[in-house]
Amino acid sequence: MKAPGFHGLTKKPQQTEIMDWKKFFIAFVAAFGFMFVFGFIWYGKLMQGAHMEVPALWRPEADFGSHFSWLVFGHIVMAVFLTLLCSKFVPAGGAGPCAHLGVLLALVYVGNDFITYAVQPLTMKILCGWIVGALIQFGVAAAIIGAIYKSASPATIQVPKS
Amino acid sequence: MKRFIIAFIAAFIFIFLWGWFYNGTLLKDVFAEAQTLFRPREEMMGLFHWIIIGQAGLALAFVMIYASGFAGGGIAAGVRLGIMLEILAIGARCAIYATQPFPAKLLVLISIGGFIEMIVTGVIVGAIYKPAAARTS
Repeated sequence: MKAPGFHGLTKKPQQTEIMDWKKFFIAFVAAFGFMFVFGFIWYGKLMQGAHMEVPALWRPEADFGSHFSWLVFGHIVMAVFLTLLCSKFVPAGGAGPCAHLGVLLALVYVGNDFITYAVQPLTMKILCGWIVGALIQFGVAAAIIGAIYKSASPATIQVPKS
Repeated sequence: MKRFIIAFIAAFIFIFLWGWFYNGTLLKDVFAEAQTLFRPREEMMGLFHWIIIGQAGLALAFVMIYASGFAGGGIAAGVRLGIMLEILAIGARCAIYATQPFPAKLLVLISIGGFIEMIVTGVIVGAIYKPAAARTS
């Protein structure tokens, strides 16, 4: 199979991309902000009714409050590594190619969601909600990163003439 | 295309066997400590096809991501991809830990197994899948 490559991913062998850490940080903050707010609205509000069909699975409100820092930390980790993946493997940036990568990454989560459905007493409604949520969350977050991040101008390595 | 399919099948077989050995056998007692969060065994076996579909989806997504942006880097690129995907999964696991009363020990052990799973999957996919250009050069 021919490697299709993301648009803008193809590298010329003589060039190396330079990480633009300022844009990287802005892209990470934007991705984190979107993922956290989307997660709160989608999983916390829109899916609250579906989640409450299996109350035994979730921490009580007070217990959730004392573990809230883990939720923030988890989203930071996801945003950092999503930004890293997009910046390393779609260095030319662009919302479309990064959204493509984001959707593929979401498919990894979808696979895990299927497995979780088999082993935990989730309802089909929760499974479908998680799948749609992962696709939107990662697709849009990666598109945001792609729209913000572009590697700095490629540095051309001088090849000495022999 | 042929190597893509072989890489997918090999990755899927490994993920299936590793899942059975690590989660199904080695961690059996640790999972039992959080029994209230899981389906009864008979019910789980009735939904076993969802595990197969999930693992096949995971293997397919891995090979697709590798073929799209990592191919050509060989085994090292496969391992790098595996590590990054597992760290992303650990991020999601932290969010799960905040919302579901899993014992921390269980999530740590699942993450250790996940690292091994993703690294070996990266080795397998990186060793098998080669882009057309790399094979002809």
